[in-house]
Amino acid sequence: MLLAFEIELRQNMTDGFVLFGILIQPLIVAFMALWMLKGKGPDYAIFVVVGSGMTGLWTTLLFNGGNSITGERWTGTLEPLVASPASLRVVIYGKVLANVLQSLLSMIGSYLLISLIFGYPLTLSRPWLFFISLFVSVVSLVSFGLILASFFILIPDFARMVNTLEFPVYILGGFLFPIALLPGWTTPLSYILTPYWAAVALHGAAQGTLGTWQIVGTWGIMLAFSVVYVLASGRLYRVILRKARTDATLDIVGS
Amino acid sequence: MDAITVNHLNRVFKSTDGIIKRKVKEVVAVEDVSFEIRQGELFGLLGPNGAGKTTSVKMLTTLLIPTGGTATIMGLDVVKDAAKVRPRIGFIFGGERGLYWRLSGLDNLRYFASLYYVDEKVAKKRIPELLEMVGLKGREREKVEGYSRGMRQRLHIARALLHDPEVLFLDEPTMGLDPVGARELRTTVKNMQSANKTILLTTHYMFEADALCQRIAVINKGKIVALDTPEKLKENVQDLTVVEIELYGISQDRIARIKALDFVVDVSVEDRDQRQVLHVHTPKGPEAIPVLVENLNGLRLGRIITREPTLEDAYVRLVGGTEN
Ligand SMILES: Nc1ncnc2c1ncn2[C@@H]1O[C@H](COP(=O)(O)OP(=O)(O)OP(=O)(O)O)[C@@H](O)[C@H]1O
Ligand SMILES: [Mg+2]
Repeated sequence: MLLAFEIELRQNMTDGFVLFGILIQPLIVAFMALWMLKGKGPDYAIFVVVGSGMTGLWTTLLFNGGNSITGERWTGTLEPLVASPASLRVVIYGKVLANVLQSLLSMIGSYLLISLIFGYPLTLSRPWLFFISLFVSVVSLVSFGLILASFFILIPDFARMVNTLEFPVYILGGFLFPIALLPGWTTPLSYILTPYWAAVALHGAAQGTLGTWQIVGTWGIMLAFSVVYVLASGRLYRVILRKARTDATLDIVGS
Repeated sequence: MDAITVNHLNRVFKSTDGIIKRKVKEVVAVEDVSFEIRQGELFGLLGPNGAGKTTSVKMLTTLLIPTGGTATIMGLDVVKDAAKVRPRIGFIFGGERGLYWRLSGLDNLRYFASLYYVDEKVAKKRIPELLEMVGLKGREREKVEGYSRGMRQRLHIARALLHDPEVLFLDEPTMGLDPVGARELRTTVKNMQSANKTILLTTHYMFEADALCQRIAVINKGKIVALDTPEKLKENVQDLTVVEIELYGISQDRIARIKALDFVVDVSVEDRDQRQVLHVHTPKGPEAIPVLVENLNGLRLGRIITREPTLEDAYVRLVGGTEN
C-alpha cells in the first residue's frame, strides 16, 4: 500500500494536468474565497474556508481516485495489477489516500499563503479537535473512495456519471451551508454520507460551535462508517472483479 | 505432471451495438480448445490476427473467465483457484502497454516486485540481475516514456520474471521489434527455457515458432487446427512442391482460377514491394509450371522457382490464407 501511495504521488507530480489541479486551482479558490470575505467576521471566514476545502476534497475523491483507475485501464496496467497477488483494494486505498492527502496539503498551504499575503487571520477555535477531526475525516473519506473506485473498475465510462454526483454531495454534505436549509426528507440521506459527518466535525471544531463530546461523537460515526465501508469493500471487490473478468472490461480492447 | 492443461475451453464475447435497437452481437473468440503443456516445455500458439491467441492467454492468466471449459496451471484451476495461480505465473502482452510511462524502469520493477510480495532483500538483488539480463543496465533510472519500443518490451520481460514464476505466458513478445531486437529477445526466451520454466508463446511468425518451440498448436478462428512438433507439421506438406511465381498485379478471380486447377492443392499470395509472389502448392513439381504460366497469360511475370515446402507453407495451408 505504501508503495502504491508513493507511486501515485510520483505519477501525479509529473502530470501537468493533475499538477494544475493540485497546486494552482486551490490557490485560485483560496484567493477568491478570501477576497470575497474581506471585512466579514472571522467565524464566517473559517466556515467558508473549511467548506470550500471540503468541496475540494470531495472533487478529488471523485475524480482523481477514479481517473487514476481509468488511466490504469488506458495504459494497460489495470490487468497486471489485477493479476498480481496483491489485493487490489489495498493498492487502491493507497492511491486514493495519496490523492486526498495531496490535495489536502495543497489546500491548507494555499489558505495559509493567501491569508498571510492578505494579512487576514484564519483562526481555528479548537485546533487540536480540528486536526484530529481532519485525520478521522480523511480516513473515512478514503474508505468511501474505496467504494467509489470500485465502480470505475466495473463501468468503464463511470467518469461520465460521476459528474452528476459532484453537486448533490456538496449540498447534502452541508459543505457550504447547513443542511437545515434543505427539505426534511433529505436529512436521512445526509446522515448516511460520511462527507456530511466530516463537514459537521470540521465546521464544529473550526468555529467552536460544537462541544467536545459532540465532535468525538462524529469521529465515532465516521470511524464506524469507515469500518463498514472497508468490510463491505471486501465483498464488493470480489463481485466486481469477477464481473469485470466475465465482461472483459479490464482492458479497453473491444469496448 | 503437465504444467498447463486446457480442456474444451470456450470464450464468447458479447457486444451491444446501436442505441435504440440493442442488437447483441456475439463473437466466438475461442472454441473448444484443448491441449496440455509439459513442465519445462516451450509451447507455441501460432495463428493469424484475431485467431484467439490473446483471448486464450488471458483466460489462462486469470484475466478473463471462460464461457465454457476448464484450464489448470500446475494443477490449479484458473477460475476457482485464481488467487493461487497468480503468484506462480508471469505474463507479458506484446506491445508497449502495461507499464507506467511516467516512472523510471527501476520504479516500475520495484512497484511490481512489491505487488508480487517479493521480499525486499530478494528484490534488491534480483532487479539488477534482471536489468542486466534484458540489457537495460545503466538506463534503469530513465523514464519509460523515453525508452524505445524494444527497451519497453525487454522491461516487460524483466517485470514478468520478478517473482521467478514457474510458468510464463508470452503473447507476441517480438511484436514491433526490429530484426536484431527480435533475435536478441528470442535468445532471452531460449535462456528462460533452459532455466526450466514452462513457457507458452504466441506469435504469428512461423519461423519464430519453428526456431523456439518444441510443439506448436496452430489456431485459426478460435479453433486448434493442428498440434504437433515443427518437424511433424512440416511432414504434412512434404509430398508437395512449392512453385513461386513473381508477377505484377494479379486479380482475385485469377487466383481463384489457379486454385481451381486439379493439381493445385493450395495458393497463397505474398506482397513484395510492387510485385506479388504467388506460392502454389502442388504434388506435380516443376511440371506444373507450363500450365500455371498458361493460366497467367497476359500478366507480366518475373522469376519462377520451385522449392521444398517449409513450415511456413504448412502453416499457410493450415490457416488457409491468401492473406500473406
Ligand atoms: N474484449 C473483447 N470484446 C469483444 N470481442 C473481443 C474482445 N477481445 C477480443 N475479441 C475478439 O475475439 C477474437 C479473437 O481475438 P484475440 O485478440 O484473441 O486474437 P489474437 O489471436 O490475439 O489476434 P492478434 O494476432 O491480432 O493479436 C477477435 O475477433 C476479436 O475481435
Ligand atoms: Mg493478440
